[in-house]
Amino acid sequence: MVTLAIDYFRDLETPRLARLAPNLVAAAFPLMKLMPARYILDRAASNGELKAASHIVETTSGTFGMAVALLAAARGYRLTLVTASTLIDAKYKARLERIGATVISLDDPRGDGNQPGRLERLQEILATEPDGFWTRQYDSPGNWLAYARLAELFIRALGKVDCLVGCIGTGGSLCGTASFLRTVFPHLTVFAVDTHCSILFGQPVGKRMLRGLGNSVLPKNVRHELVDEIHWVGAYPAYMSAHRLLREHGIFMGPTSGAAALVARWVAKTLPDAQVAVIMPDEGHRHAETVYNDDWLATLPGWPCKEPPEPRTLTTIAPAAETQWTRFLWLRRSLDDVLKTQTASAVPSAIGAVENL
Amino acid sequence: MAGAGDLMSGETLRSSIGTGAAIAHHGELIQGVFKDDGGRLHRGLVTLPIAGLRSEATFARSDDDAVIIHPDHKIKASAAARLTLDFLNVTGGGVLTLQSSIPVGHGYGSSTADVVASIRAVAAALKVQLRPSTIGRLAVAAERASDAIAFDEHAVLFAQREGTVIENFGGSLPPLLLVGFKANGGVPVDTLQLPPARYDSAEIQEFGVLRALVARAVYLQDPNLLGRAASASALISQRHLPKQGFDEIAEIARRAGACGVQVAHSGSLFGLIFDLFASNLKRRAALVAQQIRRAGFKEVEVHPVNAEGWAW
Repeated sequence: MVTLAIDYFRDLETPRLARLAPNLVAAAFPLMKLMPARYILDRAASNGELKAASHIVETTSGTFGMAVALLAAARGYRLTLVTASTLIDAKYKARLERIGATVISLDDPRGDGNQPGRLERLQEILATEPDGFWTRQYDSPGNWLAYARLAELFIRALGKVDCLVGCIGTGGSLCGTASFLRTVFPHLTVFAVDTHCSILFGQPVGKRMLRGLGNSVLPKNVRHELVDEIHWVGAYPAYMSAHRLLREHGIFMGPTSGAAALVARWVAKTLPDAQVAVIMPDEGHRHAETVYNDDWLATLPGWPCKEPPEPRTLTTIAPAAETQWTRFLWLRRSLDDVLKTQTASAVPSAIGAVENL
Repeated sequence: MAGAGDLMSGETLRSSIGTGAAIAHHGELIQGVFKDDGGRLHRGLVTLPIAGLRSEATFARSDDDAVIIHPDHKIKASAAARLTLDFLNVTGGGVLTLQSSIPVGHGYGSSTADVVASIRAVAAALKVQLRPSTIGRLAVAAERASDAIAFDEHAVLFAQREGTVIENFGGSLPPLLLVGFKANGGVPVDTLQLPPARYDSAEIQEFGVLRALVARAVYLQDPNLLGRAASASALISQRHLPKQGFDEIAEIARRAGACGVQVAHSGSLFGLIFDLFASNLKRRAALVAQQIRRAGFKEVEVHPVNAEGWAW
C-alpha cells in the first residue's frame, strides 16, 4: 500500500522483496522482529497494559531484544533483557546497552541457556515493578498476529501464494504468515525450516551451530498443525546458501536466511507451477567476522564441503551432521501425533516440558 | 464552494431543474475494521455495485424554504437535499421527487441510492459538479452510515460511518457475474437496529489481508482473488450476523467453480461470484441458480457487474 504518513519503525520493519527465481519471491528483512515487537507494544499501549515510561522485560538476547530496545529508546520505556553468558557476545551486549537497555547476563554452568534461571530473574523484576511489562515473544499471540502485515505484502506483490517457506525459532513469523495466507489460500503448502538438534519438530536437544534458528525449548507460538513439510538445514549448507544470495543476487543476509533460501529454491525448482514465497529474517552484518570471513570458515572442520543439491528424506526423525540437509513430511499433524509414529528410541526426552517461555 | 451561488444567482437559477441517479449494490465484498496510515482503526467496506437497479431523483428549486419530498417517507433523501443546499451556500428549497427500482431492507442500499441520487439532483439543479468524496461525506451526514455508491463502480475502501476513503484502489472492480439471492427466508433487515460488530484481534488483522487481496484483484482485474476476499469476509460475517444455509451455499459455490461467496454484511443478500468471461457461463449460472432454489433460497437473480454490454 502506498502510505503517506511518516513512520520510521514501520518502514524499518518492512522487508524488501526480491525475485530469486521466476516463481520465487523473498521477503528480505533488515530486522524482522520489529514487526512483532511494534505490534505487541502498540497493542499493550492501547489497551493500557503498557503505561508511559513503564519497564519492559524480556528473556531474549537475540534480534527481538534489539527490536524492543530500539522501540523502547524511541518511546521512552525502560528495558531489561535477561540472557545467559553462553548466548550473548560482548559486542551485541554493548550494542544493546548503548541503545539504553539493561542486559543481565546470567551464568550458564550447564551450557543450555539457563532458561529457568532467566525466568526466575524476570519474575523477580516484575514482582518489584508494578508497571512492568513482559513482551512474551514465545507465547504472546501478538507475535503471530503481527505477521498479517507480511501476508498483506506478499499478496499485494504476488497475488496468489501457493507455497510458503520460513524459519522456525519462536514460530511467530512462519505460523503467523501461514495462518493468515491460509484464510484466503487454503491450499497453501507450508515448508518450515529448522536445524539439526533443535527440539521444535521432535529432534533430541543438542548443540546447534546455526544461531537464531531452531530452539531448545518449545514456544507456544509454534503451531505444528500448520506445517506440511519440515526441513532441517545444517550450518554448512546454510552458510553456502547465504554466500550464494550475496554472489548471485547481491543480497547480504544472515545464515538463517541462507537456510530458508536453500529450501525455497529447491521448492521452487521442484514445483515450477507454484508461486513460492520465502521469509528471510536477518541481515549479514552480525556475521561479517564469521560466516563472511574466509579465515573463520577455514577453521571449521570439513569446510568447504560439497553443497547438498537436495534434501535427504527421513522417515525416522533424527539429527544429522552440520553438512547435511534433511526433510520429513509433517503433513499438518500435531507434535504428539508425529512422535507416536516414531520408534521409542527416536522419541526425544526434552519435548513438552517447558511452558510459558 | 462559496461564490458558486453568487455566480449563478438570478431567474435562470430559480427555475432550474436537476436530475440525478445512483445505482444499487449487492452488499459488500468485504466489510470490517481497517487501519489508516497512522495505525488508527476505522470501520470500512468495499461495496459491490449492481447497475441494473437504480434510484432516480429530480429536484426543482423553489423560493420556498422547505424541501418537499415525494414519496414523503424518504426523509433521509430530503435531509441530504437540505445538506447539499447548505453545502453549496444556497438559500431556498425545492421539490424532490424520487423513483426507485431498488427493493428496501435487504442490503441493496436503497436508502443510500436515494440519498446519493438526491445530492446529485440538487447539485445538477445548481449546475455544480460534486466530487465523489464530497457526495460520500454528505451521504454519511444525511444517514449516519452509508455505503460507497457515491463512487459508482470505482473500487474504494470506504469508512461508512465517517464518509471518508481509507484506501482508493485506483480502478474499477473486474467484470463479474453475480448470482444473487436472499437468505433467512428473505426477511428484511433493519440496518440501523443492528449493533456494530465487535471484531477480535485476529479478525482485525485478517481484514488487512482481505484489503490487500482486493487491491491486487483491482490492479490485475482478477475476479478469482476478489472472490477469495469476499468469501473470507463472508465467513467472518457469519460469526456476527449468521445466515442460514451458509455452509450449503459455500459447497454449491465450490462445486460450481465460483470465484467466491459474497454477503450483505448487514442485510439478507447472498451472492455467488463468477468470472464474467468464464467459459460456459450461461449454462453454469442456470445450473447453479437451480441448485440454490432447490436448497430453499428465494428470488435467485443474475446481475452482471461492470459487464459493459458483454453478452455473457
